[in-house]
Amino acid sequence: MSQAATDFGAWRLALPLAGFFALFFLAPLGLLAAVSLFADSELSRLGLDQYAKFLGDPFNWRVLGDTILLGFQVTAATLLFGYPLAWLFHRVSRRLQTGLILIVILPLLTSVVVRTFAWIVILGRQGIVNSALLALGLIDSPLALLYSHLGVVLALAQVQMPLMVLPLITSLGKLDPNLADASAALGAGTWRTFLRVILPLSLPGIVAGCMLTFGAAVTAFITQSLIGGARLVYMPLYIYQQALTLQNWPFAAAVSIIFMLAVLLFVMLFERLGQLSRGYAHA
Amino acid sequence: MTSRLTRRRLLGTGMALGAAGLMPVRGFAESGRVVFSTYTGSWEEAHRDVLVPAFKKAYGADVALDPLLALDQIAKVRAARNNPPFDLILMDPGPALVAIGDDLVQPFDKTQSKHFGDLLPAAQDERGPGIFFQVVGMAYNPEKVKTPPKSWMDLWKPEYKGRVGLTNLGSTLGTAFMVELARLQGGSETDIEPAFKAIKELLPSVAGIAPNPGALATLYQQGQIDIGPANFNNVQLLRARGVPIEFAKPESGTIAFSTSIHIVKHAANPELAWKLIETAMSPEVQGKLADQPYTVIPTNTKVAMTGDLATFIAKDQAEMRKSFVFHDWAKINQNRAAWIERFNKEVRV
Repeated sequence: MSQAATDFGAWRLALPLAGFFALFFLAPLGLLAAVSLFADSELSRLGLDQYAKFLGDPFNWRVLGDTILLGFQVTAATLLFGYPLAWLFHRVSRRLQTGLILIVILPLLTSVVVRTFAWIVILGRQGIVNSALLALGLIDSPLALLYSHLGVVLALAQVQMPLMVLPLITSLGKLDPNLADASAALGAGTWRTFLRVILPLSLPGIVAGCMLTFGAAVTAFITQSLIGGARLVYMPLYIYQQALTLQNWPFAAAVSIIFMLAVLLFVMLFERLGQLSRGYAHA
Repeated sequence: MTSRLTRRRLLGTGMALGAAGLMPVRGFAESGRVVFSTYTGSWEEAHRDVLVPAFKKAYGADVALDPLLALDQIAKVRAARNNPPFDLILMDPGPALVAIGDDLVQPFDKTQSKHFGDLLPAAQDERGPGIFFQVVGMAYNPEKVKTPPKSWMDLWKPEYKGRVGLTNLGSTLGTAFMVELARLQGGSETDIEPAFKAIKELLPSVAGIAPNPGALATLYQQGQIDIGPANFNNVQLLRARGVPIEFAKPESGTIAFSTSIHIVKHAANPELAWKLIETAMSPEVQGKLADQPYTVIPTNTKVAMTGDLATFIAKDQAEMRKSFVFHDWAKINQNRAAWIERFNKEVRV
């Protein structure tokens, strides 16, 4: 069978999903873009007014900036805590591996609402963190963790952790253990081996994990609003407010499109960084 | 060749089946069933326990409850005007005016109604009769707040620093509180300025501004906040769950609003929908709902105020009329978008 025929066969198998996506993802997305091009909420006049309105107000830029910053902080936290976990995973017995993987995916098996409510209990004034710190005499009055940006970062880092750890485990698992030995035999220390050999080779996992975590963190409407409260406005809450509370569909659509493009931009940036450093690693 | 055809046919059938599964199951509603989108949580519980059985008994037809927030109901009806997913929707006054203005609902024909005339004047609205009142007063944690608050202005007392909880203007609760604040400070539904000034002074005392009334309830439960404006029925729900919380009526009156039921335009079953409204207005249903544990405030004047309603809200209809403060939501709606935008900016941390 020729290559072309195989390709066609493969394409044909993907057709049902492609059709599903076209119908239920691309078409609504097109509709969203179309709605965003109306100048008034009665959808009677076309124009770029909604985009101009968004871009012309510094408040909106702050909301967008805060949301992107939140995404970066959560991604950095999950990478920092997730990498050692993925590393450890390949250095323990099979039985412990099963236990570890269970711990990693356990959060995925509970609803995000349940996990978020657990964080309300942990971060509250009379929550576990504050009670412990008060009992130890480290603080005099409870810290404001709930309804704070820090609280949102903490909760999201835990909620999204599997999205970072799973690709890392896969990518570290593909590493040939002899490479580290070879590096050591050639005189490189532990850190040098890690920085020059292990880290570059696990980049595909890091990039995949970062993209997933970032995308999930910036759009996590439930966790953001329940842990962050109404005084911290992030893009998803802002879109909800405009679309449902104010029924201003064109503006909500324009905000959604801008938000989507911004997130895409940063996701592409991750991908590009990954490629650049991969080239560097091979050089 | 034959096998390929079969496969293709199989795939076709499969897709058709799949598509059928995705279609809304409207067909069922046309025979003896009416779809009513009520509110989530305790409201749904109350309607499931009392309204649905009463309707079944009176008319032999079934009710499907589809619990959603008012604004989500509007969004769904708006998205499918000609084939709406519900026959009836339940609205707070702000959203009700949006639904009416957007031509999403049809009026209630009162000429045949037995109960419409018995409703309190504030609920007698042909565009959608009020089937219960919601009231906003002050909630407080009796373990932390020893003297029950008397006035809205008590929230500004220095002893409540870091203990006050609010909601944003996305909810009727948050918006009504702002309007009441403006009113008490010499403003009105059209002059909100005093309320924003007062809120700014209150901010150091505020421990949290919840994104919705449900999240506000969680804050009381977790001891995050001890005092603030709250919906009476939310307080009742928490009290029933053993949370230390009490409801206090401000001297200036409790903020009240009628919660109205509307027949959706192009409803599949408008006659049955009318009958459900009639059932919901009846003194039998409202009387049962007024009892424990529901304590839903009746709009029908024939229902006696007993139990918790008599203790916390009003001992009779006369006191109810006297102590309820109604706001002009037509005026509020005109400015709400601007207020929400301003609130976002000014209370931001």
